[in-house]
Amino acid sequence: MTTGKEKRYRLSLSWEHEKEEDWLNERSAEGLHFEKINFIKYTFERDSSVRYTYRLDYQGGLNNKEKKQEYIDLYKDAGWEYVCSYGAMWHYFRKEWREGENPQLYTDRESLIALYKRIQSLIAVLFLCNLGIMSFNLSRPGPIRIVILAIYAFIFFVLGLSYVKFNKKIKGMEK
Amino acid sequence: MLPLTEAFYYILVALYVEPSHGYGIMQEAERMSGGRVKIGAGTLYTALNTLLNKGVIDNYPVPEGMDSRRKMYAITDEGRAVVKAEIARLEELLESGKHALSIGEERGT
Repeated sequence: MTTGKEKRYRLSLSWEHEKEEDWLNERSAEGLHFEKINFIKYTFERDSSVRYTYRLDYQGGLNNKEKKQEYIDLYKDAGWEYVCSYGAMWHYFRKEWREGENPQLYTDRESLIALYKRIQSLIAVLFLCNLGIMSFNLSRPGPIRIVILAIYAFIFFVLGLSYVKFNKKIKGMEK
Repeated sequence: MLPLTEAFYYILVALYVEPSHGYGIMQEAERMSGGRVKIGAGTLYTALNTLLNKGVIDNYPVPEGMDSRRKMYAITDEGRAVVKAEIARLEELLESGKHALSIGEERGT
């Protein structure tokens, strides 16, 4: 059995959390278990004797220590081990993997739709923030404006696409 | 609030009997539904927050000698009224359905 820390780099669009879960679960199946994240740097622990199912939760309002601990304790009671958080809103949990089981944090359609809507409003906020920053940056004179415009065009494209994707997902589930 | 989702319904019904903590609610819902309704941690956590905000449940002081780490919840009068209204709604649905079935059978279809 080999153990030790390993690093991987990955740029995750945080609203593609299900893809990120898949990625972490695939690593865990290979013996690399996610432990912490720092921007795009993921730290893993190598251990071939275990395997986990990772889930990523989006939950706001956990600004004080006591609230956060209550949150973690409730998930712990349900069998989830808290791994780490990314920013104030994203929280990683894991559970030992078992054949034929596919444990989820959200177990009904209504709460899953509510989760998607929360993430969708995050995208909308990011969109508006960038719109504000862009108009500030564009007030500068010179040819740099074209570069700035190109960068923002890309950002708006990615955010807009994500928003539309979530809309489709939610509509599909509400049927 | 009506109709309640199954998770909301079982949370309120479990708390109608006695105050409980999150884990107790999860177990009660699973037991009452014969293992059918398993409320996931994310679903339960967001549901409890929603129910607290709507005033249908409230925080409950943890009794002496119990694990103080686990936060407890109790149903409010408003919550009891919601449960009763939901049960009346479900009864109406059930009665209408049963009535239609019995008429259908009498006519031999």
